[in-house]
Amino acid sequence: MPAISEIDTRALVRHLREVGALRGVVATDDTAAEQLIAEARALPTMAGQELASRVTSPKPYRWSRGSIDLSSPVPADKTPIERKRAAGPEGNSRYHVVAYDFGIKQNILRLLVDYGCDVTVVPAQTSAEDALALKPDGVFLSNGPGDPEPIGYAVANIRKLLGCVPIFGICLGHQLCGLALGGRTFKLKFGHHGANHPVKNLLTQKIEITSQNHGFCVDPDSLPSSDVEITHVNLNDHTNEGMRHRSLPLFSVQYHPEASPGPHDARYLFDQFTAMMNEANR
Amino acid sequence: MPKRTDIAKILIIGSGPIVIGQACEFDYSGTQACKALRAEGYEVVLVNSNPATIMTDPEIADRTYIEPLAKEYLEAIIAKERPDALLPTVGGQTGLNIAVELAEAGILEKYNVQLIGASLRAIKIAEDRLLFKDACRRIGLEVPASEVVNDVPEAIRLADQLGYPVVIRPSFTLGGTGGSIAYNHEEFADLISRALDASPVHQALIEESVLGWKEYELEVMRDCRDNFVVICSIENFDPMGVHTGDSITVAPAQTLTDKEYQRMRGAAAAIIREVGVETGGSNIQFAIDPETGRMTVIEMNPRVSRSSALASKATGFPIAKIAAKLALGMTLDEIPNDITRKTPCSFEPTIDYVVVKIPKWQFEKFPGSDTTLTTQMKSVGEVMAIGRTFQEALCKGIRSLEPHSPWRAPNEVTTALLRQKLSIPGPDRLHWLFEAIERGMTCEEVCSLTKIDPWFIRHLEDMVALDRRVAAMNLQSISPDLLLEAKRSGASDEELAKLLKTTPAEVRTRRHELGVRPVFKRVDTCAAEFESFTPYLYSTYEEEDESGAVDRPKIMILGSGPNRIGQGIEFDYCCCHAAFALKEDGYETIMVNCNPETVSTDYDTADRLYFEPLTLEDVLAVIDREKPQGVIVQFGGQTPLNLALELKRNGAKIIGTDPESIDLAEDRSRFGALLEELKIPQPHAGTALAPQEAVKVASEIGLPVLVRPSYVLGGRAMVIAYDLKTVEDYATQAALIGTLSGPKRPILIDQFLEDATEVDVDALADGEDVVIAGIMEHIEEAGIHSGDSSCVLPAVSLKPSVLERIRDYTARLARALHVVGVMNVQYAIQRDTVYVLEVNPRASRTIPYVSKATGVPLAKVAARLMTGRKLRDLHLPVVETNGIKELAVLDFFAVKSPVFPFNKFRGVDTILGPEMRSTGEVMGVSSTFGLAFAKAQLAAGQRLPLKGTVFLSVNDRDKRHVAPVVKDLLAAGLTVIATRGTAAALGAAGIEVESVYKVNEGRPNIVDLIKTAKVDLVINTPLGRESFYDEKSIRRASIRYNIPCITTLAAASAAARGIRDMAGHDAEVAALQDLHRRKSAASVAPGDHP
Repeated sequence: MPAISEIDTRALVRHLREVGALRGVVATDDTAAEQLIAEARALPTMAGQELASRVTSPKPYRWSRGSIDLSSPVPADKTPIERKRAAGPEGNSRYHVVAYDFGIKQNILRLLVDYGCDVTVVPAQTSAEDALALKPDGVFLSNGPGDPEPIGYAVANIRKLLGCVPIFGICLGHQLCGLALGGRTFKLKFGHHGANHPVKNLLTQKIEITSQNHGFCVDPDSLPSSDVEITHVNLNDHTNEGMRHRSLPLFSVQYHPEASPGPHDARYLFDQFTAMMNEANR
Repeated sequence: MPKRTDIAKILIIGSGPIVIGQACEFDYSGTQACKALRAEGYEVVLVNSNPATIMTDPEIADRTYIEPLAKEYLEAIIAKERPDALLPTVGGQTGLNIAVELAEAGILEKYNVQLIGASLRAIKIAEDRLLFKDACRRIGLEVPASEVVNDVPEAIRLADQLGYPVVIRPSFTLGGTGGSIAYNHEEFADLISRALDASPVHQALIEESVLGWKEYELEVMRDCRDNFVVICSIENFDPMGVHTGDSITVAPAQTLTDKEYQRMRGAAAAIIREVGVETGGSNIQFAIDPETGRMTVIEMNPRVSRSSALASKATGFPIAKIAAKLALGMTLDEIPNDITRKTPCSFEPTIDYVVVKIPKWQFEKFPGSDTTLTTQMKSVGEVMAIGRTFQEALCKGIRSLEPHSPWRAPNEVTTALLRQKLSIPGPDRLHWLFEAIERGMTCEEVCSLTKIDPWFIRHLEDMVALDRRVAAMNLQSISPDLLLEAKRSGASDEELAKLLKTTPAEVRTRRHELGVRPVFKRVDTCAAEFESFTPYLYSTYEEEDESGAVDRPKIMILGSGPNRIGQGIEFDYCCCHAAFALKEDGYETIMVNCNPETVSTDYDTADRLYFEPLTLEDVLAVIDREKPQGVIVQFGGQTPLNLALELKRNGAKIIGTDPESIDLAEDRSRFGALLEELKIPQPHAGTALAPQEAVKVASEIGLPVLVRPSYVLGGRAMVIAYDLKTVEDYATQAALIGTLSGPKRPILIDQFLEDATEVDVDALADGEDVVIAGIMEHIEEAGIHSGDSSCVLPAVSLKPSVLERIRDYTARLARALHVVGVMNVQYAIQRDTVYVLEVNPRASRTIPYVSKATGVPLAKVAARLMTGRKLRDLHLPVVETNGIKELAVLDFFAVKSPVFPFNKFRGVDTILGPEMRSTGEVMGVSSTFGLAFAKAQLAAGQRLPLKGTVFLSVNDRDKRHVAPVVKDLLAAGLTVIATRGTAAALGAAGIEVESVYKVNEGRPNIVDLIKTAKVDLVINTPLGRESFYDEKSIRRASIRYNIPCITTLAAASAAARGIRDMAGHDAEVAALQDLHRRKSAASVAPGDHP
């Protein structure tokens, strides 16, 4: 992770707030400012960038490690779900989840395991047929960098998967769902970044404090309201934060319920995913 | 959810007088709550006994009662006002306790008043140690393991299981009496048997010790839809074992990983739900074992608290205001964030800076008290500082404390003593930490001695290392980069001057030459993500300045810094009023202050708030940025006054009374000459620079004399000497501790006027006209510090000729000193001669009290005078006698009484003297003087008995005057007992009373009687130093057993009148709004009052 210090961070934020997201370079040497500016200008803008294929895993792999949990009095080697499992028969069900890797965060994988899933991570370009051939109980669509619009292959795959298997998307996965359902995405002026974004769950009227890191957003007005229900909204700027299909098992959120670092208010979405898979299996 | 429509009128209870642990943060929170509820269209009824608060200004609530916070008075108010609801969570522990008392007594039910904000059940669970532990365990959280024990063998067995050290808390003892910590099995056996003996029910709680664990607090909020947010995390620099009010604290938490933090956040959410605090703010404390990471829950406050005030200032999120709105049924997402305007309150503030709070102690006021910091809070105030790094915030915090703490501790201490100073926390531990690092003690060793997290120690090490690099330079050789680095890490010009062996002014000049100047950043709750509309600013050394100073008429007000004895909430009150008045007059107002507890540091008070240390460097930097038309220094007490001359020299325009005049009034010889010129009497006085000289001066003046140092704040270190030996001892002592050093700091010796009545006068002046605002008669005789003395307005026993002379002197003094604004004069009246004791051409402690007693906001008027407005244009309700104007008094008596912190400092004598020791004040209002006094006493915690036994022991001087007091008491149906001498004196006056033994005369003696609850009131006037032991033990026993104790005959006489007036009367209450309504017929000239 690159990190910078000893700069006037507020000045930087205020600048970005005024002019919007910019291309930039981080330099550690004494290269002349003019040259660095030229380098930054030479960078392509984020709009139109398909980056998922550049960061995805080249081949499928299995993931079975849960998260480290500090909650006393649970011993450090036990995850909450293991505790739940130990507590009753309900926890015994296990799900096989195929996770599309568009730049997946490890903590999503850990949490899927915590919530009783065996995960197979597959490359971004994996076809819907290949994914379904793995006989998953559910498909997870990950977060990732770049503009969702050029990732046409993923949109096509989601359309094929829709209705076959429960689908849960986070961040870029949410944007891809939006496109697959017939919506549009657009670029925010300076995006949502940080661990304190208030999101309202429109189904429960409850507020979640969420971790966010995205520059693009689904335009809720572009979605066919007959099929899609808006479930979450950002209270700072009222942009879309989540949706679900009215009749088919698909839901997705723009923010990061798996946040680490960040608040855990939205962990219930993992329960929602397993409940959906449970329902589909019945 | 929309706000509730089933309630319209809401009662708010304030926190009463300022005491240790409950200071003006509750004025801040209560004021916010009142304003928030009214803004939503509700009618607010406010009760608070403390007149020095902004919340008791008649404009803040619809109905304001300055009445004792006692059940019968609250019931009378409820019966009169019939509120629909009571908000119990914004008045500190006092407000919460009285709300519980009202609920449990069935009073709320009787009048159909709902508790909003927190239910009785939630309050009980949160406040009861055992119920709270059970609640935490139910939701799977750990609490320190504990057991209730009734016998020694069982206790030993359980203690062995818990492991040592173990904490012992006897059940049902006052103020933790008999509590202790046992470090091993042997010690435990001894301590537990003592603890069980101390408990009236032979019961104790033994608890696992979490001493030395890391300590955290979360300030959280919840709304009626169960939405939960954390406003701020606070980490204690000092680990568990030191009360959080006595700890240096840092926000946000610095040494937690996200995993640890989220675990704590989740636990806090679970706790507030389980306890059942439905809406509002709570404070939840956690301890983490640094060895294992084990987290335990320590306690919670189901209300706004000192920490929530700090968190509000630290984040810009106004917790009390939002809590009040949530109590109305609103939800967090329905309330806009004031600072960004566009985003809602349902978020968690981002802090892109570090906040450090440092407590302010005043152990020097309480000689003989134990200075070890423990689980009982002992500090009297605090400062907060904001910087972009921990180091910068810490340094700014240190220089916000006054007087400036020595940065370096004396070198003479041995390593063994140093280690002890590190391991036993005291008020000066920070200095010892620097000393240890300076001497090369390793981080590991410092951490193991102090249990302070290594992260903090390493920062201190870096600061010491940086100092060394700077010290290797001089003003010319220091590079701009190093200078900037030093400033960025918080070093003041004063510290740099020491390191570079030059003057602060030279450093500043050089700094400016090199372009090293601070910029101002905003506290905006969102790390600049959204535009902020509230200029709440702090300085730092970075690139971009966000102050956005505009060019319009503006006035800057310098606040009073940390609360301390003698400089408290009253001065903040004045500063706030200056801001309110000048805002109304169209000025942009700028507040500079560093005290997080205050209303002045609410971003709502002035147009612009600079949360900065009140030092020359920091204030000049703000002036440099803002270029105000005027700077007000006369409202913040001694702190800004000390800067006045230097500010003026540096080009600041000080408005109001010229700093030279203020200086003249403080300069004894120049002021003495002025009085002589004006032919106004003053006590004989002299100064001395050496002990022998002091003795000579004292014998010339004639004993008794008052001896004190030359710079006075709340009468620090004054004594009344009845013999020359005391004078010599005092001077020797002063020379030793450095209060007597060099020609500038002599000690002052004054004739002490025995048996005199003291009078305080506040006056307004505009340079031409003078208006006397109030002539307050002290109830205690002269010699007791005016801040510790009860007083009454209007005066009750002064002759018209004396009043006339007081008015004349006051007006002449105001003119001679060219006072523009407000002035306070203290007089002593001895046998009809009026002596001037002291003149302060600036705001005094009595301004809020006089404002409330007269209905004229003196500080607002004074602020307007300073901007050039004239008294004649302000249309004050004045009466004129012999050409001198005075505010017309109203048809009620207002008694102000002090409140003391003696219960926090065990073993300290409670006798009053010239050294101010009270922390706060209350006001009692009534149509008779006696009743007003009795109400003030009750509000101050002394309930005068209406029946029972009064114990009397008075000195020979008082024996002559004691008979009328006893007659009043007997007439009211009380029994009087007295010491042999006093009884004999009464016998001689024809009053027979039972005599009882003094402590050394046999048993049962008076202390035994107090202990066995056979005495209901103690009247004990001191005899002088010789019989101290006897008197001390009587007064101590009174405090311990909570029996009212009166130490002057004047107060005893007032008390007797109060008891007489109270008997057979129901609690009488009156709203300030009604009291202030002037019936023109009732406006009478002072002195003509019945």
